[in-house]
Amino acid sequence: MKALTANRLTDGEVVFWRKGQWVARFAEADLFADDDPAGEEAEGHAKSQRTAVVEPYLIDLTQAQGLWAPVSYRERIRALGPTNLNHGKQAEGGAAIEALLTAHGAARSTGRVDLIKRK
Amino acid sequence: MYRYDQIDRDMLADRTAEFRGQVARRLAGELTEDQFKPLRLRNGLYLQLHAYMLRIAIPYGSLNPTQLRKLAWIGRTYDKGYGHFTTRTNLQFHWIKLADAPDIMDHLASVDMHAIQTSGNCIRNVTADPYAGATAEEIDDPRVWAEAIRQWSTIHPEFNWLPRKFKIAVTAAAKDRTAAKTHDIGLNLKRDRSGALGFEVMVGGGLGRMPYIGQTIRPFLPATRLFSYLEAILRVYNRHGRRDNIHKARIKVLVAALGRDEFASQVEAEWEKIGHTPDLPDTELARIRGAFAPKTFDTLPAVSEAFEAAKLATPAFARFARNNLKPHKVAGYAIVEVSLKAIGETPGDCSSEQMEAVADIAERYGQDDIRVTHEQNLVLPHVKLDDVAAVWAALDAVGLATPNMNLVSDIIACPGLDYCALANARAISVAQHIARKFADPDRAELVGELKVKISGCINACGHHHVGHIGILGVDKKGEEFYQLTLGGSGAEDAAVGQALGPALPYDKVAEAVDTLVETYLRERHDGERFLDTFRRTGVAPFKEAVYADVH
Repeated sequence: MKALTANRLTDGEVVFWRKGQWVARFAEADLFADDDPAGEEAEGHAKSQRTAVVEPYLIDLTQAQGLWAPVSYRERIRALGPTNLNHGKQAEGGAAIEALLTAHGAARSTGRVDLIKRK
Repeated sequence: MYRYDQIDRDMLADRTAEFRGQVARRLAGELTEDQFKPLRLRNGLYLQLHAYMLRIAIPYGSLNPTQLRKLAWIGRTYDKGYGHFTTRTNLQFHWIKLADAPDIMDHLASVDMHAIQTSGNCIRNVTADPYAGATAEEIDDPRVWAEAIRQWSTIHPEFNWLPRKFKIAVTAAAKDRTAAKTHDIGLNLKRDRSGALGFEVMVGGGLGRMPYIGQTIRPFLPATRLFSYLEAILRVYNRHGRRDNIHKARIKVLVAALGRDEFASQVEAEWEKIGHTPDLPDTELARIRGAFAPKTFDTLPAVSEAFEAAKLATPAFARFARNNLKPHKVAGYAIVEVSLKAIGETPGDCSSEQMEAVADIAERYGQDDIRVTHEQNLVLPHVKLDDVAAVWAALDAVGLATPNMNLVSDIIACPGLDYCALANARAISVAQHIARKFADPDRAELVGELKVKISGCINACGHHHVGHIGILGVDKKGEEFYQLTLGGSGAEDAAVGQALGPALPYDKVAEAVDTLVETYLRERHDGERFLDTFRRTGVAPFKEAVYADVH
């Protein structure tokens, strides 16, 4: 399963794709099956939204506590906020946040790989 | 401290207006991200994991209370109420909105500050001894030269598109508090036998993927020829630096490839072309020097009865005095170090309330002078011994009186994977775990000087290569792992640390540091620091202890 993420242009906020819009909560993101072309179509559409977001990319998901969470630790930190202070998105709490906090499995993030390639 | 003149202010006003226009064009879609990114980076604005990050230049780590209060206000108004002091003696705000950035630039300009050249392949903020003007050890005030370099290098047309970023340090004391030998150029002020002022010039130091210790290419450069010599170095670098490979583009790689002697001879040949006239007019040097005229100090006895009585009455204050006070050049005064490493907190973080408190203290007791160190702490360089107890109490009231300078919990840590888009692993939480292990101040003092430095990736913003214990976060099959090195030093005895062994998982790092410390305590001879013991014994006893423990 995959989700589409980016940073919002105006403030850098981590956002996720939902029905053609961008939302701040990972729990509300559209989920795409790995073989569903809709994910790549959404990514292509997002890349054309030049005044909405910066660098959209698809992330891999894994199941945690019956919910979906990013496989990559980096992406879980993006979805939650920094671990040293409780003032990111994780401050909201709830089952979806708890699932992200307890998720395991940390393949290297696609975003990170792209960043390395660009350098 | 140096005050901007009208030319400086006009330049900043132009620059912030230009940046405002660039941001407006980006938000309107007239600039693509690829077009805008180099423009925002030229103004210190990065996009990180959670938000934009603004890196503000603090020239040679020197601040006045008005500036620190403005930073506190910006933190409260535009960020989440705090900032993060870095190993470049800069301040980073990690929760900035793009649309706010031009206003922030205007507010910074109102107190003679900016974020220019805190990113990009140009000459970055100059590092200087945080004890400048306060220590009896110094040959001359390094801030005078750091300021002259700042003026010369700011928007210098020839050196704004170097092969890679470029960092210069200036120190004037035998004890190096700038990590000069890990800079692209390290300048050590000296006097020759005739008393003339000059610099030992070290080139090619640097950390990151390929760590090198700087090498001396000129033992004594007359101070009057500094800028032509810097120009010659930068021209050789600009001509031959590896623009084809970002990982080999720093000057350290060029110096290593050519060899010190060949590099030095190319610099000398280039220097010869420039000519032999002094390159900084005496009048201009005098003008800059005037901004750093010695403070007015009262004539005081060397021993303060009030200070001695406070130490006897309050053990916690006595501990603070033992660890956080350094000798001042004037009798009756002290240099007070302010730790930004409270146990369990984020190294280098400082809340807006804490910034305001430090500004108040500096105004009341510290001659309006505040310094930022490359070890992510603050310094009040001029405090009367009679006032140290009051300063301690005021610092303690805002959680800034941690008595751990140079001890094991005084850890350098980069923002790491909690904030940084380049990081592989977290650094802050590893630092927090280690600090908590050594929360007992008696034990920390028993261990003595021990510099732990943590980086979340190979770019080495946490200076791990030169930590007595260095910790590097790596991505190992998708998990956070940490490689430990021992025996590094960023001081005058600079050295790159030696690998301990296989990388350790996240939850074993603090335990391993504890084991290293126990091994040191077992092996040490009288008076030896951790670094001395390691240099005598080598890695073997440490390696044996850690891996026996871990596996």
